[in-house]
Amino acid sequence: MASAYNPIYTDVPEKDVFALHFLQTLSNLRTQNSFSSPDNKTSDRVKKIKKAAYVSMARAAGGTNRLWSRSLLHQAAKRNNKNVRFLRRKRRVTWLMRRRSNRGDPIEDVAAERLRNLVPGGGGMETSKLMEETAHYIKCLSMQVKVMQCLVDGLSPK
Amino acid sequence: MDLSGRFGARSGDGVPFREAAALESLHIGGGEEFRQMVPPENAGGFAALLELPPTQAVELLHSSSSSASQATTLHSLGTLSFPSNPLLMERASRFSVIATDNQQNGNVSGETTTTSSVPSNEHIKTEPAETETCDQAAVEKQSNRCGKRKELDKKVKSSTKKKNKSSEENEKLPYVHVRARRGQATDSHSLAERARREKINARMKLLQELVPGCDKIQGTALVLDEIINHVQSLQRQVEMLSMRLASVNPRIDFNLDTILASENGSLMDGSFNGATMQLAWPLQVMETEQSYHHRQLQQPPSQQWPFDGLNQPVWGREENQDHGNDHNNLMVGSTSLHPNQVKMEL
Repeated sequence: MASAYNPIYTDVPEKDVFALHFLQTLSNLRTQNSFSSPDNKTSDRVKKIKKAAYVSMARAAGGTNRLWSRSLLHQAAKRNNKNVRFLRRKRRVTWLMRRRSNRGDPIEDVAAERLRNLVPGGGGMETSKLMEETAHYIKCLSMQVKVMQCLVDGLSPK
Repeated sequence: MDLSGRFGARSGDGVPFREAAALESLHIGGGEEFRQMVPPENAGGFAALLELPPTQAVELLHSSSSSASQATTLHSLGTLSFPSNPLLMERASRFSVIATDNQQNGNVSGETTTTSSVPSNEHIKTEPAETETCDQAAVEKQSNRCGKRKELDKKVKSSTKKKNKSSEENEKLPYVHVRARRGQATDSHSLAERARREKINARMKLLQELVPGCDKIQGTALVLDEIINHVQSLQRQVEMLSMRLASVNPRIDFNLDTILASENGSLMDGSFNGATMQLAWPLQVMETEQSYHHRQLQQPPSQQWPFDGLNQPVWGREENQDHGNDHNNLMVGSTSLHPNQVKMEL
């Protein structure tokens, strides 16, 4: 891997961490009764698995340390109507939003808006922070894709 | 002011003059960046000015003087031809250079220490401006504050300056100084704006390395589009794979004997014996993850929001509990999932 010193910290853990989290989440899904019953619609199951994938990815990638993972977990918890366990970080929104509204580089802003919609938790971030989070998010996504690919390959019939 | 007169002096005779470096950095840790030694006659004045160990100050001066010796006039300082070594160039570009009469160099260094010692100690602080490791909010505030300082500086030093790039010194410094480029406005807004843009460009470079096929593209907008496409494609891949998993799963019922059978039969035999092996791998992974979390905590602390100190222990404890439970479930449910999984993936 690149050994150059990069002051922007974007390390992700190894693949097995992602695998472990994903499998744990899947096994949790298994134990739910509604999951393996045949009358369950496929789309529901797909959604659950997808959500499990994202949640496990967020956990593996660093829990609440990264912005995107934090907001992902928050979304998931809200949907489950779980008690919100994480402390809500007071966002320094006012100052940042003021800055953002002042500086309008039109080229960047359009793309930055799209990126904000894609990356979870992108709404409250400055553009530079957004790009850091995007970099980390991309790394974690690709790791998660690899894990899921291996799992599917292993489970699919030969 | 004496200073403006002195610093504004230009020698148009083309003789390579020495510059009194209006150095922005007082603590320059990177003495290793400068490869050349300087005649010691300059060491005294500048060491006092910079409060540096004389050798470092001397090296600094020589680097700036050697770089500027190729420029003959003050105007050409706008395009300082730095040594061709790109590393040195990048790091030496942090120091702005000022032209003075070369004859007065001895006097100047003396005088700069006396006359400019007071004001310059306010103005010239150490600052490499690139702030990737600095706390963002603090940076923005500080760059606003030093906008005023920059206006003062601009009166004193009318020469060109270059934006600083830095490396390890950032970690010590809580704020950022940005120098105005020649011919550009120096009010605090545009300075801060420029700093922000530099930050964004640095991160864009990082993203470009991540996304395959992005380095060829020129222009910010296209690169951003490419990045967005990449993120979208990754998310679509996750969705596709989750659909496939959903279709596959009910058949297997998560009993991974089939995996064992299909993959390595020999491993299955071994894994039945090694009950410890079943526990060993998840534990190892847990350790990796713990170390990763610890690393994240210890690594640039300025990047962590203050609440993370509260979040992390809480979350970590809960995670541990979850893992404990899940471990039991998994161990009971599957036979030897993990070593095989490792085989498949690693």
